[in-house]
Amino acid sequence: MRWASDRLAQVGEFVVPLSHAPGDEWRTQASVFEEIYFIFLALGTAVGIVVIGYMLYNGWKYSASKGTTELDDPPVLGELPRGEGGGKKLFLSFGISAVIVITLIVWSYSALIYAEQGPEEFEDNMVVEVEGYTFGWDFIYENGETSTNTLVVPEDHVVTLEVTSRDVWHTFGVTELRIKADSIPGQTATTWFIADEQGIYLAECFELCGAGHSFMEADVIVVSEETFEEMYDEFTETGSFPDPPDDLEER
Amino acid sequence: MASIKFYFAIYVALLLLAVSKVVFMELLDYWAAVGGIMLSAAVKTGLIAGFYQHLVDEPRAVTWVVLMAVAAVLLLASAATFSIT
Amino acid sequence: MSEHGLPPKSSIKRWLVTTNHKDIGILYILTSLFFLIFGGTLALLIRLQLWTSGEFILSGSAFGQAVTAHGLVMVFFFLSPFAFGFANYIVPLQIGADDLAFPRLNALSYWLYLFAGLLFLISFFQGGSLEAGWTMYAPLNLPTYMPNPGASTVVGALLMFVASVTVSTINFVVTIHQMKADGLSLWNLPMFTWSILLTVWMMLIAFAALGAALLILGADHVLDTVYFTEVEGGSLLWAHLFWFFGHPEVYIVFFPALGVMLETFQTFTGRRLIGRKWVILAMILVTLQSFLVWMHHMFLTTINLEIKTLMMAMTIGISLPFDLIVFAMIYTLIKGRIRWTTPFLFNFGALVLFIIGGITGVFLGAIVLDYEFRGTYWVVAHFHYVMVAGGTALFGGLYYWWPKITGKMYDEYLGKMHFGAYFVGFNLLYFAMFMSWEMPRRVFTYHTGFEAYNQMATIGGFILGASFLIMFYNFYQSWYRGPVADGNPWEYSRTAEWATDSPPPLENWEGIPNYEKGFLEFVDRPEGLTDGGHGEDHHDRHPDHASIWPLTISLTTFIGLAGLMLWGEHIVYNTLFIVGLFATLVAAVGFAREDFYAPMPDWGARWPFEGIHKNKFGMWIFLASDIVIFGAFIGAYIFIRWGYGWEAWQTIPPEALPGLVNTFVLLTSSFTVILALVYAQRGNQKGLVASLIATFGLATLFLVIKSWEWNYLLPEAETLPEATIALFTFDWDPLIGTEGPALDASIQHSTYYVTTGLHAIHILIGMIALGYLAIRAYHGAYLDDEQPVENVGLYWHFVDIAWVFLFPLFYIL
Repeated sequence: MRWASDRLAQVGEFVVPLSHAPGDEWRTQASVFEEIYFIFLALGTAVGIVVIGYMLYNGWKYSASKGTTELDDPPVLGELPRGEGGGKKLFLSFGISAVIVITLIVWSYSALIYAEQGPEEFEDNMVVEVEGYTFGWDFIYENGETSTNTLVVPEDHVVTLEVTSRDVWHTFGVTELRIKADSIPGQTATTWFIADEQGIYLAECFELCGAGHSFMEADVIVVSEETFEEMYDEFTETGSFPDPPDDLEER
Repeated sequence: MASIKFYFAIYVALLLLAVSKVVFMELLDYWAAVGGIMLSAAVKTGLIAGFYQHLVDEPRAVTWVVLMAVAAVLLLASAATFSIT
Repeated sequence: MSEHGLPPKSSIKRWLVTTNHKDIGILYILTSLFFLIFGGTLALLIRLQLWTSGEFILSGSAFGQAVTAHGLVMVFFFLSPFAFGFANYIVPLQIGADDLAFPRLNALSYWLYLFAGLLFLISFFQGGSLEAGWTMYAPLNLPTYMPNPGASTVVGALLMFVASVTVSTINFVVTIHQMKADGLSLWNLPMFTWSILLTVWMMLIAFAALGAALLILGADHVLDTVYFTEVEGGSLLWAHLFWFFGHPEVYIVFFPALGVMLETFQTFTGRRLIGRKWVILAMILVTLQSFLVWMHHMFLTTINLEIKTLMMAMTIGISLPFDLIVFAMIYTLIKGRIRWTTPFLFNFGALVLFIIGGITGVFLGAIVLDYEFRGTYWVVAHFHYVMVAGGTALFGGLYYWWPKITGKMYDEYLGKMHFGAYFVGFNLLYFAMFMSWEMPRRVFTYHTGFEAYNQMATIGGFILGASFLIMFYNFYQSWYRGPVADGNPWEYSRTAEWATDSPPPLENWEGIPNYEKGFLEFVDRPEGLTDGGHGEDHHDRHPDHASIWPLTISLTTFIGLAGLMLWGEHIVYNTLFIVGLFATLVAAVGFAREDFYAPMPDWGARWPFEGIHKNKFGMWIFLASDIVIFGAFIGAYIFIRWGYGWEAWQTIPPEALPGLVNTFVLLTSSFTVILALVYAQRGNQKGLVASLIATFGLATLFLVIKSWEWNYLLPEAETLPEATIALFTFDWDPLIGTEGPALDASIQHSTYYVTTGLHAIHILIGMIALGYLAIRAYHGAYLDDEQPVENVGLYWHFVDIAWVFLFPLFYIL
């Protein structure tokens, strides 16, 4: 229930996303996702229970074994196929379900615009090129150096990922941060994220890419701004990141 | 069923339209020529399908089936191409 | 006793030669159940592997093959053919027909399907099968990245399956539009027949697109062309072509199941369908919309936001007609007398599962959520809830029609037990996947946190699998010891299949079904059948029901394709291809020469396809699918060229002139082939033969110019004879050398040679048909029946039209 009440509290936050000014009020992809997912889940479950419950109720109520209903005008073998009346009720339920579905999707669309446009309004966002290959990930930083299977980023900072592939179709995704982008040869997909908690996150491949698909993983290491700067300096010098602080949690 | 004379007239029209494609390319600038060539290809197709394949004489629904297939591929080609622009 | 040349059912020979729709239906059902067991065993292997998070019984490669084969087998070789088993058996009965319009083509569909399945199975024994998932994303689907030789064989198997579907599509479109009982209009068709009619219309377009995608993929495999390795959009090209087919395919699989649900809901509630006409309109709407949503499978790719938004709106749009259909079924329950028999349990259960599948699908329609669900078990769970809900309804259909097909009743108690185990197993299996949705798809090891859900799913999977043992036992008992079922074992059934014996006699009815008075009656059959006034002089002839050619053609095609797909791997394959190719030609001629009588009813063809002979109608349906194939090739070219930079693109032929000359040649041949028709109508044999030979000659000229032009293709072989020698000594190096402008030299070369090559193959097939016509005409044929001349002419004109577009696109622009 804690989870649910947290999510409910979030729902109010999401009013007109484009009006958010850059800075603290920028929301992570993860929190946008959590909120929309929660609403869909709540409504979806409710609709499912009502509709399936209504089916079961009618199935029970009109069961022949109860012997209560007499059919007026039962169908006979060989009649020309035709329908029964009752269109009004049909259209009412149809209308209600249409309103729910359309509202949900249109509402979630504003979040899409947010997710698509997010990082461009920042000036100092960090850009990392992500190149998938069978079976690993190369992260190419603005200093031109490549880090293999380790992406180090500072916390609370917008990071833009430009994702492509060297061979076959992969999909770069970090579940805990709710980021994902297809990694397609010859194409560059762009996504962005803000990691608001330090730790070691897991990046995985989400498109079958061959026998090593299951092992195509990378670490996403989120550290404090200062630590990042130290690590990045060493990376620029030596071409590889030093080990992160020991106290980072795996997430 | 029409006469040989009629079919021959269609044939001559088709030959002229075929030449028109090359002429368009010579006379017009590139994208205008593309338009002209596609137009002349469409007219040729209409002549062949309508009179050599006798679509004009068949139930109209057959024409719709053909147009449905054409619409499907136009949709595929244009939407797919648009998606990467 | 022999039934009009058909051996008795106890004889194996009958099942090899039968063209009767009920026999074919049974063959389809049995074969599809075999593939269910095969695909199901693969599924259980997958579930076993996922029992623990670490490595277990399968290697990564074996797991990839299992996942791929499971998907392809279940979608292509089980679900659709299972549904078409019923369609074969039931649709002619529901519309009051004796058989399908083209009984031999129906047999051909079945045998092509069976041999396609066998070809698929063979791929496992050729050093590994395809392991790119059922979506076969490029470029993993190419030998460069996945060198298992069997993968090429899989492409061939799928192509063969597409051929089977295309033949079937033509047959069902013509049958349903032209063989309805008198008084039965399009609007009055029973719901199952409606669902099949809409399914085949979708198949017509969708499978042609898949056919084009597979032909291109086949070229990339066999000829080393570079379509899908092209970095300027090769991967996306495959995704577009595949999903343009793939989304309608979901409904192609689901609609027949929906038809079964709509039938059983009416029968077992004793109520007619609520809002019937709205349900039909909703289904028509879905049929059209199914071609407008394909990019929702590509939301995470690099396609632009505008098209994503459009596709999202369309996706919402397509969920709405389904809402209406679902509510119509629910309201049909009200005020009914619901009998909870096994078929109804399965169909009621199917609706419950479909509702869950539908709701979870709305999540995916919201792009922001889709971004996260992409590639996870949420997608797997969602589409299994939808597709296997369809399967659930079809199993209900099997119980529903079992007494009709076998004449025996099954055991209700066992049937309900099957349903109980099935439903529990299903939900354990697939609901667990929703709960582990953060796990990536198609991994064979995973993180320990998901172990509990995976074990729950595995237990569910085994319960689901075991439930089928009950079903098979039940049917086994019923077949040998079950009580006899009469013609109509279900109270409140309405449709015509219940108005004849169980199982029905060979030609279905004692009299002729007729709805003129608003209900089904049987009028006496006249002495000597009429043939629909189609001008065939067969008035006292009895319809045929047996032909050996469908099986033969399928077998030879199988041999040829098995060889072609691995051409150059070993001399055995090259030999197989050449033998298969020639044997197929011989078999095709045998098929064409066979005098097979399949009459059409006088009254069957009504709006909107009245007044067109079934052969010509069938030819037009085929041409529609060919339009999509050529269109998809041209579309692929435009897409690739656009991605590359339209005006930066170099056309391959250095001169437009040979192309222009060939345009004149083809236009002239179109004129001569129409002359042939005129002479045939006038009974002028000399003119007919001369025009056919002239057309043949012009086609030859076309190919000569073409091959002169194609010399670019033969960089190291200086002359055509040299090239031919290289071809037949299986030494292909001079043909596809690494230097010079060969097929694989660039994407420009690939598109040019493959597209014009497809056209050249069309010309060759046309020449075979023209040659056949010319020889028969020389011996006096077609003077009183010019139909074959006209139909081959239709095809020939189409080949001409294709060139009308290829010439400017590949030569001038």
